[in-house]
Amino acid sequence: MPNAVEVKNLSKSYGKIKAVAGITFEVGENEIFALVGPNGAGKSTTLRIMATILTPTSGSASVYGLDINKDADKIRQIISYLPEEAGAYKNMSGIAYLRFMAALYDDDGKKQTENVNFAIQITGLGSRLKDKVKSYSKGMTRKLLLARTVMTRPKLAILDEPTSGLDVINSMEIRRIIRDLSNQGMSVLLSSHNMLEIEFLSNRVAIIDQGKIHEIGTPEELKQKYNSKNLEEVFLAVTTTK
Amino acid sequence: MKKFFVLLKKEIRELLTLQMLGPLIAVVLIFFFIGKVVGNEAAKTQNTQAIQILDLDNTVTSGNIIAILKQSKINPNVITGGNVNDAINNAKLRDEKAILVIPAGFETAINNLSPQKIEVYSIMKNFSMTSSIKEGSLRGALSIANESISNQLLIKSNPKTNPIALKQPIQTNDFVIIGDRQANVNPTVVAGFISSQTTFIPIILFLVIVMASQLIVVSISSEKENKTLETLLSAPVNRQYIVASKLLSAGIVALLSASIYLLGMRNYMSGLTSSFESPGSAMDAATNAAMVQLGLVFTVPDYLLLGLSLFFGILAALSVAIVLGAFAEDTKSAQGVITPLMIMILIPYFLTLFLDINSLSPVVRWLVYAIPFAHIFLTAPNILLGNYANIWFGILYLAIFFIVFVYIASRIFAFDKIFTLKISFRKNRNAAV
Repeated sequence: MPNAVEVKNLSKSYGKIKAVAGITFEVGENEIFALVGPNGAGKSTTLRIMATILTPTSGSASVYGLDINKDADKIRQIISYLPEEAGAYKNMSGIAYLRFMAALYDDDGKKQTENVNFAIQITGLGSRLKDKVKSYSKGMTRKLLLARTVMTRPKLAILDEPTSGLDVINSMEIRRIIRDLSNQGMSVLLSSHNMLEIEFLSNRVAIIDQGKIHEIGTPEELKQKYNSKNLEEVFLAVTTTK
Repeated sequence: MKKFFVLLKKEIRELLTLQMLGPLIAVVLIFFFIGKVVGNEAAKTQNTQAIQILDLDNTVTSGNIIAILKQSKINPNVITGGNVNDAINNAKLRDEKAILVIPAGFETAINNLSPQKIEVYSIMKNFSMTSSIKEGSLRGALSIANESISNQLLIKSNPKTNPIALKQPIQTNDFVIIGDRQANVNPTVVAGFISSQTTFIPIILFLVIVMASQLIVVSISSEKENKTLETLLSAPVNRQYIVASKLLSAGIVALLSASIYLLGMRNYMSGLTSSFESPGSAMDAATNAAMVQLGLVFTVPDYLLLGLSLFFGILAALSVAIVLGAFAEDTKSAQGVITPLMIMILIPYFLTLFLDINSLSPVVRWLVYAIPFAHIFLTAPNILLGNYANIWFGILYLAIFFIVFVYIASRIFAFDKIFTLKISFRKNRNAAV
């Protein structure tokens, strides 16, 4: 069985700017793998490449053995991507948005209904789903989008800062949902600034800065290696020494 | 294909928002309201006009003038004594629009072939079009009176005289030739007819193309701004469906909006034109037959050809707009990126509105022909002039233009250009600085 994600010497340049500079990592099946790094480190670019919306400049990447360049169409059928600070269509109601997205993932009406019902359960928004998205708070929108991302039960969920801008309660709720879905067989590739979140959620972590991965390991391994109490200290130690 | 219709439905719903429909309906209602008001006011110009005549001559000739005025929908209040100031004050009190003063000795002087002056005092309370039309109808009536007295004088001097033969010894019998067709009709009448038939066509074309282009650019830029495009492009959907659904929805909504605008504008314009038409200006059967003979009346195949040209014109404009939309970072920059397209539409629009492109110098003419959208505006005149080869060339050119730009658009959406174009754009701008 191939890994959920395999990335080898992946690079992405925008003209002279090298956003990702030859990174290599794997994500195992059912694993939650996190990319941690400061702003502009290359996290989002990496996730966008894995979500098939950006093409790499060089190197290779695959999802469940499918090549990111050659098999992008097939990859899109087994992944789901939550962009950072993404929005939904503001003039649609929450429920209409979920139905629209469900229809894009499946032609079968029954399957669509099943997925939408699952999303309704995850959002916990109840009757507010009938309201237009533009009336939602940031937390409500993020929950709606996370529900949309996972409702199809993708083999790989790509989550860019899944809890960004959310309060503690909403963040905890979203982390719990991600954990549960991973336990049910979903692999997760995510990025975050929040070290506590990463420590709680991730099986393994990659510390990325200036487009390069400097460390990969479980939170425990990294803490031991850098003799640190938490990932925040590890992160500081790694980024200041490199 | 099912997913295409899912996307199309979503695109139309996103475009047909209350914010978009509200102003549209408001404009139509305003047009409708103004059309009604102007129409009612204009209809009043056809009513009998009250004036005051101070007839200080009180003779058969002055009586004839008054009789002619009465036949021209003028209701004169005739006073045979008093002075001008009293007549003016009296007219003001009676809300009469003008005072005519026929001087004493008028008939005698006329009979002695000494030209006489009738003083006309126009009371102007406003400077609107209705006011000038009323003034015009009084002048017309006086002109008829002048003609009548002149004829009487000629006959009086020589009863065998034909006044028309004396005044207009040369008369023209007009023929108009368009291509191989010829008809016995006045060219001014033909020009007026063409103008009345084709006034709306460039306006509709312009409205539809501009609206459709703006809609598609706003649609792409708002998707980029809200990051919904990233979600959409990571979904298992054929990216050509995304491009096609945006093209088609913008086209449908633009056509719908333009039709609604046109409905309102037509109502407004018909309020103006129908009421302001002078009596006898309506086209008679002979003129109509001449227009048909000249091929100047649009037939069903002509309308189909016009529709086909517009269809490819919209597609070409949309394909350019979708490529330009890729450069927009957000809805604020959407208007800026669409400027090149607007220029490409505005230049031929204004040129065809005021000039005959076909008679321009070869260099300028081919420069205009090089702008694909010029062919949309040239279709109606070319149909009327029977230049069908030019029309088909224009449609073919628009179709090729569309195919090229749709290909570019599909490449932009197929790869990551849709997200990275703005970066190149910025870089170039910085480099330029």
